[in-house]
Amino acid sequence: MRTLPFNPRHLVLLPLAAVMLVPLVWMLVTSIETLPETRHFPPTLIPAGIHWQNYPDALDAAPFGRFFANSFIVTGAAVIGNLVLCSLAGYAFARMRFFGRDITFIALLATLMVPFQVTMIPTFLIVQHLGLVDSLGALIAPNLVTPFGIFLLRQFFRTLPIELEEAARIDGCSRLGVLFRIVLPLSMPALATLGIVTFLWTWNDFLWPLIVISSTNQSTVQIGLASFQGAHQTNWSLLMAGNVMALAPMLLVFIFAQRWFVQSLASTGVKG
Amino acid sequence: MIQKALGSDHLAGWLFVLPAVILIGVFGILPIGWALLLSFQQNDLLATPTWVGLDNYRTLVHDPVFRDSIRRTLVYTVLFVPLSVGGAMGVALLLRRPIRFSRFYRTSVFVPVATSTVATGIIFNWLLDPTYGLANFVLGKIGLGPYGFFQDPDQALYAIVAMTVWGWLGFDVIIYLAALQGVPEDLLEAAQLDGAGRWATFRHVVWPLLSPATLFLVVWSTINALQVFDEIYVTTRGGPLHATTVLVYYLYNQAFELFHAGYAAAVAEVLFLITLVFAVFQLWLGNRRVHYTS
Amino acid sequence: MRRSLALLAVALTVLVAGCGGGSDSSSGGKTNIVLWHGYVDVEGKALTAAAKRFNATHPKIHVTVQNYGNADYALNKVLTAIRGGSYPDIVYLYGSWAANMARTPKAVDLAPLIKADPSINWNDFWPAERQAVAVGPKIVGVPALVDNLALVYNKKLFDQAGLAYPTADWTWDDFRAAAKKLTDPSAKQFGWAYVNDASEDTVWRFDALLWQAGGDILTADQKHAAFNSPAGVKAATLLQQMATVDHSVYLDSGNGNYANLFNSGKIGMLFTGPWDLSGFPDVHYGIQILPGDVNHQTISGPDQWVMLDNGDARRNAAWTFLKWFTSTDEAMQWSLATGDLPIRASQTQTPAYPTYTARYKGIGTFVQNEQNAVKARPVLPTYNEISQAMGQAIQAILLGKAQPQQALDQAAQQVDQILAQG
Repeated sequence: MRTLPFNPRHLVLLPLAAVMLVPLVWMLVTSIETLPETRHFPPTLIPAGIHWQNYPDALDAAPFGRFFANSFIVTGAAVIGNLVLCSLAGYAFARMRFFGRDITFIALLATLMVPFQVTMIPTFLIVQHLGLVDSLGALIAPNLVTPFGIFLLRQFFRTLPIELEEAARIDGCSRLGVLFRIVLPLSMPALATLGIVTFLWTWNDFLWPLIVISSTNQSTVQIGLASFQGAHQTNWSLLMAGNVMALAPMLLVFIFAQRWFVQSLASTGVKG
Repeated sequence: MIQKALGSDHLAGWLFVLPAVILIGVFGILPIGWALLLSFQQNDLLATPTWVGLDNYRTLVHDPVFRDSIRRTLVYTVLFVPLSVGGAMGVALLLRRPIRFSRFYRTSVFVPVATSTVATGIIFNWLLDPTYGLANFVLGKIGLGPYGFFQDPDQALYAIVAMTVWGWLGFDVIIYLAALQGVPEDLLEAAQLDGAGRWATFRHVVWPLLSPATLFLVVWSTINALQVFDEIYVTTRGGPLHATTVLVYYLYNQAFELFHAGYAAAVAEVLFLITLVFAVFQLWLGNRRVHYTS
Repeated sequence: MRRSLALLAVALTVLVAGCGGGSDSSSGGKTNIVLWHGYVDVEGKALTAAAKRFNATHPKIHVTVQNYGNADYALNKVLTAIRGGSYPDIVYLYGSWAANMARTPKAVDLAPLIKADPSINWNDFWPAERQAVAVGPKIVGVPALVDNLALVYNKKLFDQAGLAYPTADWTWDDFRAAAKKLTDPSAKQFGWAYVNDASEDTVWRFDALLWQAGGDILTADQKHAAFNSPAGVKAATLLQQMATVDHSVYLDSGNGNYANLFNSGKIGMLFTGPWDLSGFPDVHYGIQILPGDVNHQTISGPDQWVMLDNGDARRNAAWTFLKWFTSTDEAMQWSLATGDLPIRASQTQTPAYPTYTARYKGIGTFVQNEQNAVKARPVLPTYNEISQAMGQAIQAILLGKAQPQQALDQAAQQVDQILAQG
């Protein structure tokens, strides 16, 4: 019984989407302007012409091929590390009873409560002791597992019906087996979420790589983008072209991973 | 047999969490210990430090800017958490059932989360500029304003709330969408067949089933809100007139602009305690109110 | 004679250290040094080219230049690197960090080097630069960049308003009247712009006005604040009147919008330096020395190359590089390529100088203006705190939230406390 020719939810969602997309539009427009054109305020949302040259220029300004490769390696390792280690720990905190469980959980969570501005220097010293300074290892090791992921998966695992796990255990399945054969397949949305978010944070990480990496060969995309910002001048057109290129992989990963958000609608066989 | 199967898992439990505990212990707990030591020193990270015991903490107690920054941080948090979590639940529910362009909507809600803080700062600096910004232009058309936003000490903090809700909403929406996958469609149908209206269905079916995700988001958003910094750094820089000087901004200023690293570490320890109290309280409340499936 | 002996000593040291093959990364007789900087675009390319030239003509030394990203983060990075024990030999740092860098034992005190080596021709550097690197008896860096504030104005807007262009005799009253005439609320046009984020950007423009009125920031013994004198109040009142009564000032929130606005023809005049000029491709601008009160003093903001100690060999190599890089001819080549102001007075006598002033419109005024940079900001480890106290006061005055005398007095009280503790 509709009074409107379209779904009323669009009335909310469409303006919301427009508001959310404003920065992306501005980034795209700035990335195809010439540098003099960017020196206007208020900024123009309709460019005079399309200056695609910014994209190859940005790639040439620094070895971005190398930067992208490094970023992918570090981010990929972080995603895999988190998916595996957070699943293990999250499951233990969700389903197992062991000595010191709750205190340990709080302690892990507590590490999120001290701002990075304070911990970055001692973290640097530790990384240095491990001989990892100025290497990709310095970017990967601290990001292999985060309390965020453990907390997220713990919450999610506890919403699953425990009967399935109990049945499997009675059948003689090991704890590990239950996790990998029963629990994880049911947790695709949460795992997809963790994957996306880990990808996002590691990909966008700026301050830590800036401190721990000095040589160009080990730099990431975000450090490369920072080179477009000088002390007094910023090359906005190149910077935004670079930002758009850096944003693209994340959006692609997100669009690709969306299938896991709509997965169960299909699997529960709801009528279309 | 069930008893035996689900009895004490000490060894297994510890084996499962050990890799995480070691990594987080090294890269998370050790640095925090160092920061604690730093808070007992007078240290500018350049010359040799001196030990001053509890002096930094004593100075903190009498520091009006510090006390004000606690208040501002709490105001910010109390506004940010309900707005972003509540708003996200609303948006997620709108996106739940099939609708045209849903993929487009989901992606656009995610875009601000993926956008760099630098770009976000530039956009908001422009949008909220008192003279040239789009916001005052639009508001002027309907007879409101002009507002100072980032330039008005009484409005700046609220403008930051708006900016950060905008930037983080999509993140919470994703979490909720993932959680909503676990809400079985037949349960909702059964409720509606029983004659329950939309609100009742929400209150008695959807809300409880989403409560684990809600707990997670409330705790997580609180921890983050208490540490808000990046967005303030690219817009108001703690001003105008300290209006947006929250705890972490104050800390950053003390450590890296005034070279009082020891003092900054003491500020960080106080922030840590505040956050811990919040989180433990929320988790405790959650354990009593959150519904996991039986 | 002494000069060539000194050079020989340096060369021998480098050679010996190279042969010794110590822990300071020298291989096969070559000393490798690392330089950190934040240059981009034209300047970045010029630096890389200069390093290449140096390496080609100095076979015993190899300089590697590394961009540390945004200069705002440079201090974080350097502090962390020093703590970690692995830091460069030369690093570009803002002048405001000089006093703090002097506190680390790793920063090389150049005073003995300068004394022993007249080839650096130390007094050839502008006075403002030399003042900025002197922390008590220590000298903490070699000048890297110098600039100053002058009046940059939009000729078209002046023509449209029927105003004569600013002269070297302009007073504050002339300036204020012009700003008023250039302000048009219906066109969203302002006569002047002022950075009002309470940072040093806010303070240093005020400092110029303070000095023009005959005032000082601190007392001569640097034990008390002096900026709340009648001269200071006069300067602050000018700001207050222009912002809250005339409404002729666009208050920039520290994000650089004022430059884009000027380029879009929305602002009539700026107090700014040469670094902004390349951002005004769409404006016919003129440059004049600042309008004055008792005098026309300006303020200079020099940055420097700080040397960090990685052992004798590398230190000597770094000194050799810096002497070469800041020599008159090399520095002139740099200015020609980048538009940066000459860091040495002798550069104005080189044959390349007229080419330089012809290539960069109006730069000659900035060079002349350097002679108006007579006073400098105090070089103290507590300067940042002083700056913040002053910045908050000026911001309050510009926003109309405080009266000049009261705000300055409150800031002076805070500064006195800071100076007493520090």
